[in-house]
Amino acid sequence: MTDTRVIDEWIAPVTDGFAVQVRGLRMSYGSTEVLRGVDFDVRYGEVFCLLGPNGAGKTTTLEILEGFRPATGGTVRVLGLNPATQASRLRERAGMVLQECGFPRQARVAELIDMWRSYYPNPRPLGELLAVVELAEVRNTQVRKLSGGQRRRLDFALALAGDPDLVFLDEPTTGFDPEARRRCWAAIENLRRLGTTIMLTTHYLDEAECLADRIAILRAGQIELVGTTRQVAALAGLATRISFTTPAALRRGQVALPDGFGLTVRGPVSVCHTDNAAVTLRRLLDWAVQNRLGDLDGLAVAAPSLEDTYLQLTGPDPEIT
Amino acid sequence: MTRSVRLAARQALLEQRSFWRSAEYALFTFAFPLMILLLIGAANVGSYLPGTHVKNTTVFVPSILAFGIIVAAYVNLGSKVAVLRHDGVLKRIKTTPLPSAAYLGGLLASTVATVVLITACTGLIGWLAFGAGPRPGGLPALSIGLILGIVCFATLGLAISSVITSAESAGPVAYASFLPIAIISGVFDPTFSGLPQWLDRLVTAFPVKALAQVMQGAYTVRPFPAWDLANLALWTALGVGFVAWRFRWHT
Repeated sequence: MTDTRVIDEWIAPVTDGFAVQVRGLRMSYGSTEVLRGVDFDVRYGEVFCLLGPNGAGKTTTLEILEGFRPATGGTVRVLGLNPATQASRLRERAGMVLQECGFPRQARVAELIDMWRSYYPNPRPLGELLAVVELAEVRNTQVRKLSGGQRRRLDFALALAGDPDLVFLDEPTTGFDPEARRRCWAAIENLRRLGTTIMLTTHYLDEAECLADRIAILRAGQIELVGTTRQVAALAGLATRISFTTPAALRRGQVALPDGFGLTVRGPVSVCHTDNAAVTLRRLLDWAVQNRLGDLDGLAVAAPSLEDTYLQLTGPDPEIT
Repeated sequence: MTRSVRLAARQALLEQRSFWRSAEYALFTFAFPLMILLLIGAANVGSYLPGTHVKNTTVFVPSILAFGIIVAAYVNLGSKVAVLRHDGVLKRIKTTPLPSAAYLGGLLASTVATVVLITACTGLIGWLAFGAGPRPGGLPALSIGLILGIVCFATLGLAISSVITSAESAGPVAYASFLPIAIISGVFDPTFSGLPQWLDRLVTAFPVKALAQVMQGAYTVRPFPAWDLANLALWTALGVGFVAWRFRWHT
């Protein structure tokens, strides 16, 4: 913690160590309330993920932080600036990857990146940008001939051209095949290594789990939970999941279900949830021995995953209730 | 300020490179006016305007100069900006610290380069093929027509771009909104006449005929085109007003 603060002060003392601060953010379109009091902070050097289903208000939040929309209410500081009134200063220090932004059709990759570099006072070297997003081989290719994944990585390169302190990524891999997603993730991982603060939105759990240091779950215009992946799962009050292959005797009804810890049989797999894994496991194994079920094949103990948390928060889940 | 100018110049260079890279687009922009010049010009060789000693080609060549200006400034710029907006390029520009004026300035500078080149080609070919060149002392009129033509039609191009709703319709909308007016303005036919009076008045209100007449003043002696210049200035003002009202950086 102390270390973090030292680094924060070294990068930008003006903002008390936060790249982004959001307090009581509200946004309405006409009578529709899209954001209903959103609070969160993004620390310097971290990858922060705003996770939520479609229509939760992720893009709206990002557009307010980027200075594209004035908020209806609340306070927002990005790199110590107010995006609504200091958008041009913000744009010199923050890179933005929006959803579905095109390129000039006939421009070539390196030519376009070079053009973007000229917009900034202290651009990052061209060769470095091409390397970070792994586009060096197609540097002389016309943009219209790039694949979807390559285009997205070119998005990253343009957003990085000005050597920003902070990068916003709005749903960076939506609609990509697994290979293209992996390469995008690799590019984002490269960015993180450069020390760039990254704020991304996604509705993919695996993406948040793989990339983010901290996650905020946004749902229906409000932050449900903020924390590291593990904290989020713990905060959601989820139980540890114990599962094993359903023994044949249990399937055939020759053995009665144990009482007291809510074991449910779902065909080939039996599952129960518990707040105290050790006690439950001991009782379960005792029950197995008493009923001559052996060591319970396929026995697995899993900490609550982000997916469990997310599904519980965003919709009813029969497996948990 | 100097930085903005430098950035605009750089933007213009990139635009020009991109323009020439899409060969069919560049070729069409140049080929269309030049083809019309040669084909219709050939049909008018040896003819004179009724009751005068003025050759048809002396009026026709400057009309095509006006046509070329309008194609490059109005059609090309208008459809290009519509496509850039539709593709999200304009929105992407807004994510950078590049001043809007520098970006639009670059687009306009590139348009000016194209217009100047197309005017030079048309003028040269008109002179070589039909012996129709500017009259002595016609250069001021030519320059004024060129400048006012670019300003007026580039502004109207930006205006029409805000009306175009898709990238696919950009070219057709830009052409369809001006070709019929060009035809009934007599741009393609120096002896064109016989319009009903109301239609003739209507067409005179549009800037196409006005620009053609200003350009004709550089080739043959005409009265000072005060009304035509006022017409172009008025349309420029209307265009500026519309752009200020409706121009958007994203859809």
